[in-house]
Amino acid sequence: MKSRYLSSAEETSDVQETILSSIWFSSRWFVLIGCLVFLSVVVTNSMVDNWGRLANGSDNLFAFINESLWPPDWSVTEPQAYPVCTEPEWRDFTCSTAWIGVIETLKIAFVATIFGMIISLPISLLAARNLNPWWVSFPARFILAASRSLPSIIWAIFFVILVGLGPLSGILAMTVYTVGYLGKLQYEAIEGVSRPPLEASEAMGHGWLERSFGMIIPESANGLISQLIFMFEYNFRHGTVIGIVGAGGIGYYINLYLKFLQYDKVIAYLLIIFIVVLLLDLVSIAARSFFTEDGDVTRPPSSWWGIFLPSAMIDLLKPK
Amino acid sequence: MSSKPKRGDVLDPKLAVEIRQATIGYSSKEPLLSSINIQFFKGEIVAIAGPSGIGKTTLLRTIAGLVPPLDGNFFIDGKENKPSRGELGYIPQRLGLVRHASVYHNVLLGALAGHTSPWFPYSSAAKKIALEAISSVGLDDKIRTPIRRLSGGQQRRVATARTLAQRPSIILADEFLGELDDETMNLVMEKVTSYVRESNATLIVVEHDISRAKEMADRILIMEDGRLNPFVNEPISIELDKEFEKEVNN
Ligand SMILES: Nc1ncnc2c1ncn2[C@@H]1O[C@H](COP(=O)(O)OP(=O)(O)OP(=O)(O)O)[C@@H](O)[C@H]1O
Ligand SMILES: [Mg+2]
Repeated sequence: MKSRYLSSAEETSDVQETILSSIWFSSRWFVLIGCLVFLSVVVTNSMVDNWGRLANGSDNLFAFINESLWPPDWSVTEPQAYPVCTEPEWRDFTCSTAWIGVIETLKIAFVATIFGMIISLPISLLAARNLNPWWVSFPARFILAASRSLPSIIWAIFFVILVGLGPLSGILAMTVYTVGYLGKLQYEAIEGVSRPPLEASEAMGHGWLERSFGMIIPESANGLISQLIFMFEYNFRHGTVIGIVGAGGIGYYINLYLKFLQYDKVIAYLLIIFIVVLLLDLVSIAARSFFTEDGDVTRPPSSWWGIFLPSAMIDLLKPK
Repeated sequence: MSSKPKRGDVLDPKLAVEIRQATIGYSSKEPLLSSINIQFFKGEIVAIAGPSGIGKTTLLRTIAGLVPPLDGNFFIDGKENKPSRGELGYIPQRLGLVRHASVYHNVLLGALAGHTSPWFPYSSAAKKIALEAISSVGLDDKIRTPIRRLSGGQQRRVATARTLAQRPSIILADEFLGELDDETMNLVMEKVTSYVRESNATLIVVEHDISRAKEMADRILIMEDGRLNPFVNEPISIELDKEFEKEVNN
């Protein structure tokens, strides 16, 4: 028989337990993040032998900026001396190395993104575990991981050796990398598709074609499109790097002036790249607004620039 | 008919779905239905009722081949494996529509399952059938609208149209009349039941509203305590109710 005393003692311990577990429950994210931050600090400390270098770093940075970087040398936006520019004066900037480099990098990035998507989409449809048995998805994942495992600059070196200097090796390198990277993003989007449409499809007896192109791709279209735009921007940024090994684009000029220690010209190129990346970001916001569900609510914006602003600001700016 | 009798039994050709000694659920420790035997016949409408969370949806999903039975045998049209392409229409409780695609796209997916082959899912006849199904549920003006911009009841009608366009021989409908006003509900109910009668199909419908179930179904099964019981005492209780009402009114 249970005595009263015992049961009340049990009750107290129950109460304590629920208080402790509720404290743990409400603070577990802070504890987890705190542990991760602490771990990172410890690991960094074990790799750095002299923190004093950090103090020197800022001095070095100021000296470097004052003596070499600033002000940027905007002559890179003026027409090259050779070949002679035949454009009318108002658009002679299109003969400049900055313009030629940016356009070539954009072209490489665009072509590589499109080719990469065309190749990666079928592979990622095979790699999705909710659509295929493991013996299909595993080899497909292997292919994607292999093309992703080397950074695009290593692929660029490889293709420069194979097909020589120039944009072609840049396109090939970037396409291979895009297949791996975009493919991973795509199969994750596909695996995130909710169950009910897939179940309806399975019950109806749909084949692979209908399920993939009729259900999965339209259902995950938002994700697929924003990933595609992200990949284009990513490829543009990396296009500057692969140019350094001779695979075409603006990186060629950056590498050239780095070799001659003309850092003020290099910084001009970097600022131009930064501006183009910002512009691409705005374009991608605009493009995505056509595909997201929020777009249904905020569209149509009162004017073309409305897509760059949050809807609350549009309301403020609207003529009454 | 390519029925393959199992274990030497002769299956009734009028049978659409037969469930033998089946245990259904997600874990064998807590089965939702244990050792049940049910038969559903061609040309028949059967309603399944029961409290929320008892396992009605799970039963439909098991018949559709989406959840494996824990034990026992399922025969669809005499065959003990997954239903063949287009044979079975499913209107899930959560609809399973492609939210970012149009009404037409969704209904066409049903029509394709019913009228084309899996490796060449294209036919102009299927397109016509899809458009007919859309207008039969009264959504002519929404053909190009994406699903995410439809109301809940409109979405339910799209799921119904998708199954009608498929022209299946068995329809599993999970509360497909929810969220509809009386007029629309009668329209949709009429379309589905007349399809079932005309093409000698089978409709198994989960419907927790007993009066609606009685209006639609030839028989009603009540799910309770891990079993499916026929709904028997209702006529008496209706009369009692009526007498009670009279007494109250007098
Ligand atoms: N995928 C799943 N895995 C495990 N358990 C599940 C799953 N889906 C449902 N259940 C459980 O199975 C039980 C029956 O669920 P089911 O959806 O079949 O109920 P229902 O009778 O259709 O209820 P309602 O009328 O509310 O739709 C519930 O207790 C639920 O929690
Ligand atoms: Mg249910």
